[in-house]
Amino acid sequence: MEKQNPLSPHLQIYKWQISSLLSITHRIVGVINTFAISIICLWVMSLLLGENSYELTKLFLQSFFGKFLIIALCWTFSFHILNEIRHLAWDYGYGFDLKIAKITGVLVFFGSFILTILFYLIGRNLI
Amino acid sequence: MTQFSLPQNSKIEVGNYFKDKTNSQNIRKINVYRWDPSDGQNPRVDTFEVDMDNCGPKVLDILIKIKNEIDPSLTFRRSCAHGVCGSCAMNIDGINNLACIKSHTDINGDLNIYPLPHLKVIKDLIGDLSTLYKQYESIQPWLKVGQTGKEIQEIKQSQKDREKLDGYYECILCACCSTSCPSYWWNGDKYLGPAVLLQAYRWINDSRDNDKKERLKKVADELKLYRCHTIMNCTNSCPKGLNPAKAIGSIKKMLATS
Repeated sequence: MEKQNPLSPHLQIYKWQISSLLSITHRIVGVINTFAISIICLWVMSLLLGENSYELTKLFLQSFFGKFLIIALCWTFSFHILNEIRHLAWDYGYGFDLKIAKITGVLVFFGSFILTILFYLIGRNLI
Repeated sequence: MTQFSLPQNSKIEVGNYFKDKTNSQNIRKINVYRWDPSDGQNPRVDTFEVDMDNCGPKVLDILIKIKNEIDPSLTFRRSCAHGVCGSCAMNIDGINNLACIKSHTDINGDLNIYPLPHLKVIKDLIGDLSTLYKQYESIQPWLKVGQTGKEIQEIKQSQKDREKLDGYYECILCACCSTSCPSYWWNGDKYLGPAVLLQAYRWINDSRDNDKKERLKKVADELKLYRCHTIMNCTNSCPKGLNPAKAIGSIKKMLATS
């Protein structure tokens, strides 16, 4: 009995590279950021509803989950900013060399955490 | 909608286990993807115990040894065995490479060998590359000079112009890069893929070619070119050390600045 030809395995077997991991993270983080910006807009608009609405959001943002959300968003934005710089360099034709691409990739990854901490410290008026 | 999982008829099953019969002390387990079009079964992964004391240094040597001594029905493409023809491209230990130039000593543990990813399997390690060849044809990979045939002088190329083709003319079209690209997995029917785009760039960049504008226009397409998101799996896997990601980047830059 003849059977339809199967599809060879792809995602299931292909080894992750630094570059491919960063690329998929960039995309996921981009989607999250789009939602985050909409939510921030809604939050700002909610100020028009008066003091009560402001107090409610403040309460939420000061809760554990709220704080987690803020720090997580600091990271997603940091990552997206830094990796987008990498993409800009590529658009100018720089940084395609495999070694350089790997180094900038690692820099973006660690840099995103440093930038997150900076955002947090600046936000808390600590520096 | 993109399907990330394998279709029902492609789910991989556990296959046969071929125990070593040579009583060798230096055994290595080799897992190989198998699919036989004649038996109506799902693909499976067979495990072979191979005597490494009497085996050549490359992955291809293992495959030939298995075919000669253990299971003659194992099917794979190979020709030159020196990394020039590109026939034996396959997924070795999770990364596409040519079996003839990949040393098995570079890989720790059991060796996993699969066909090139996201292709229609013809048999065992052989994938169907006809779409890629059609796409290659679509970029018209030949010199277009608009000559009348009555010219008496050859078309000359300066050394400097010739050097512009370095890093591109070496491509052997083994398809390692195209089949490593997730964008090509999901949009393989429309997106040209790194191998074909690198070739496209090679012809765009040839000083002797008179059809540069037309070539650029043809390739400037949301799906054909801009599905490249610089994931760089292509450059990571190229067995010839070329850089398809850079070639695609150069085409994008040319389009943006022309």
